[in-house]
Amino acid sequence: MSHRLRLIWPPVLVALVFLGLWEGLVAVNDIKPYLLPAPSLIVTNLSDNFSGVLDAALYTAYTALLGLMIGLLVGTAIALIASRLMVVNKLATPLAAGLAAVPIIALTPILNNMFDITSRTPRVLVTVIIVFFPIFVNVTRGLLQVQPAQLELMRSLNASPSRVARLVRIPNAIPFFLTGMKIAAPLSVIAALVAEYFGGPQQGLGSRIASSAANTAYGRAWAYVVAAIAVGLLFYLATLALERLATPWTGRARSV
Amino acid sequence: MSTPMTSPAVQAEGVWKVFNEGQPNEVTALADLTLDVAYGEFVALIGPSGCGKSTLLRVIADLTHATKGTMQVAGMSAAEAREQQRYGMAFQQAALFDWRTVRRNVELPLELQGVSKQDRSKRAMELLEMVQLADFADHRPWELSGGMQQRVAIARSLAVDPPLLLMDEPFGALDEMTRERMQNELLRIRKETGKSIVFVTHSIPEAVYLSDRVVVMSPRPGRITDIVPVNLGDRNEDTREDERFFEAVTAVREALRGNRGLANSDMRARIGEV
Amino acid sequence: MGWALGGVLLVVLMWEMVKVVGSVIPLPFDSGDQAMPHVWTMIQGASQPEVRGSDTTVFQAVVSATLRSLMLAMGGFIVGVSIGLLLAVIMQRFSFAERGLLPFVIASQTVPLIALAPLIVGIGNRVSIGPIQWNTTYSVMFIASYLAFFPLSVGALRGLQAPTATHLELMRSYAATPRQTLRKLRFPASVPFLVPALKVSAAAAVVGTVVAEISTGVRGGIGRLIIEYAREMTASPAKVYVAVFGAIAVGLLAAALVTALDMALTRNLPKEHSA
Repeated sequence: MSHRLRLIWPPVLVALVFLGLWEGLVAVNDIKPYLLPAPSLIVTNLSDNFSGVLDAALYTAYTALLGLMIGLLVGTAIALIASRLMVVNKLATPLAAGLAAVPIIALTPILNNMFDITSRTPRVLVTVIIVFFPIFVNVTRGLLQVQPAQLELMRSLNASPSRVARLVRIPNAIPFFLTGMKIAAPLSVIAALVAEYFGGPQQGLGSRIASSAANTAYGRAWAYVVAAIAVGLLFYLATLALERLATPWTGRARSV
Repeated sequence: MSTPMTSPAVQAEGVWKVFNEGQPNEVTALADLTLDVAYGEFVALIGPSGCGKSTLLRVIADLTHATKGTMQVAGMSAAEAREQQRYGMAFQQAALFDWRTVRRNVELPLELQGVSKQDRSKRAMELLEMVQLADFADHRPWELSGGMQQRVAIARSLAVDPPLLLMDEPFGALDEMTRERMQNELLRIRKETGKSIVFVTHSIPEAVYLSDRVVVMSPRPGRITDIVPVNLGDRNEDTREDERFFEAVTAVREALRGNRGLANSDMRARIGEV
Repeated sequence: MGWALGGVLLVVLMWEMVKVVGSVIPLPFDSGDQAMPHVWTMIQGASQPEVRGSDTTVFQAVVSATLRSLMLAMGGFIVGVSIGLLLAVIMQRFSFAERGLLPFVIASQTVPLIALAPLIVGIGNRVSIGPIQWNTTYSVMFIASYLAFFPLSVGALRGLQAPTATHLELMRSYAATPRQTLRKLRFPASVPFLVPALKVSAAAAVVGTVVAEISTGVRGGIGRLIIEYAREMTASPAKVYVAVFGAIAVGLLAAALVTALDMALTRNLPKEHSA
């Protein structure tokens, strides 16, 4: 059996069994759709409202993407500074560690007040803050955790600090950056989604899920949920693809 | 725990080991290998990378299965020998458990056999006395030097008092001075306990200093090309400067170069026959 | 520790500086006292009564809500960690399980469960397991445990698979059963990997708890207070900030608890041991 096939059929099998059991459970116990809709019902809802779901998905995805891109830039920039200036590193690290434990989404009402609630801005900002921390922590680690032997080599070659950064630290940090991105990408989608719960424009998936649930249109709500999962998966898979391109030597066995 | 043996410690007959059979990256690690290790004998396996010496050791230990051929260890199949713990093993890394004290590390094989706490503690201390590390019983592995860790590993390999010891370059990671001290330690333990030992090494002087016979192997496919008997009697501090020592080292070196002529893939050599 | 305090001071300074700048130059956001109260206003606000005429101060209300949320988060953490460990053990033992389940474990994190919170509460409230009636509190804990199990599952799996080939050969040479190998080798060897995973799990459980409280409006927790005080932002802007600090405190307290747990677990390990 080819290697790829061997990797694919167990999860596919598990998925099919899971979906089959779900459908069966709903049918046998005659579970009402407002409690737990069957997969077939969700699929029907999706195809019926497909363009609406797609628009909402694109809206949220754009918010998430904006937040992700800006967060990547800011996180990387500050990580670069932190790797050069120990002061910045020493200040930022405990802050990052502390804030990583904090439910940042709780900031959304405050940001809604400070910025224009009718725009995307507060939501993008929350996403940026959430994305910032995994990126910053990982990139800093990558820039600093260089093999001592490599640094000694550069020193013996009389290389300037910026040369060392360019030739050794930054290449070393790339896998770490990608690890951070693998965490940040699905996180950005979730952040964008949840931020939509706090008011503001209602075109996104989060708002639609909330309003569908409020109107007890659970079938539709689940359809939007499926779309949200799809967007999150898409972001994650895009990151994986980027990883394969950038570091083709990474082992396939444990890419989590 | 140990029963007196008169049958050979190891009897390998026509052993083949092929990896990735039928695929483009097929490798014949061992080809039609036959070897006897007599009871109480010290046999060294030496050869360049890929000659199959470590693979042979692992087939003896039943850590991997032969593709063809038979392997008898301590008078039974290799699998039975492992089940009944008829051998102890030491590797190049001491592989001690960092989360256990030195004493509890030595107790590990006994623990797995269900020996009572009291008995195992007593036995562990006996073994640590034998390797002269009794004072470190309650220390942690990382507090010990490399040589000391290996001594603990050797003590652990003796825990169930097996008749056979299998060692895969246990001194390979140590510096030269520590190596020589450890070699003397090993010989002393062997004298006290009378174990049979199969010892894989890269070092010609080490092979000659320790063993009764040096089995020379070569790669592609892995096979025995020569067996050099070593008759140096009891080793002491003058042995390494003895002329006969150098002769034996030279003989092994020549054999490794393929110059001793007996490149025969089916060699059966018992004590006294060569 | 000193650096942490320094960082906090820096943030406070920057906050006030932004307000000063904002009073002179128009900024793209609202930096007035409504949206961004002064730091001392926030501190003052903490000592005011929660509701006019009430005995409890804002501070007291926030503290009790913080503790309640912390308890929920820890409950979710324990459940999530247990399930995560169980999954990891199964996935390590059976490679079919690893190949079949791991993709879903990873994919589970793309499911925005927090976004599903209202749905879960809706379903949960109609369910009862035996004599126990499911209520919203359980839904919140469920969400927290869902977020907590993934980092632990992945970290534990990596840890259980960490022992070197030599260690595994050693155990095989002892004819050790898989269960013995699990108990005596894999579990202790996985501790350095569990330590960071526990931290991430705890953080995830806290986030899950607070956000689930926000989106479900369940009473007693800090999330509910944030929503309530946010509605009063025009009248007393400082209150919502105090509540947000309460949420931050839940996270920091959880982190402290897990750090204590970590220190207990790694008591006998060399200090370099951190994967």
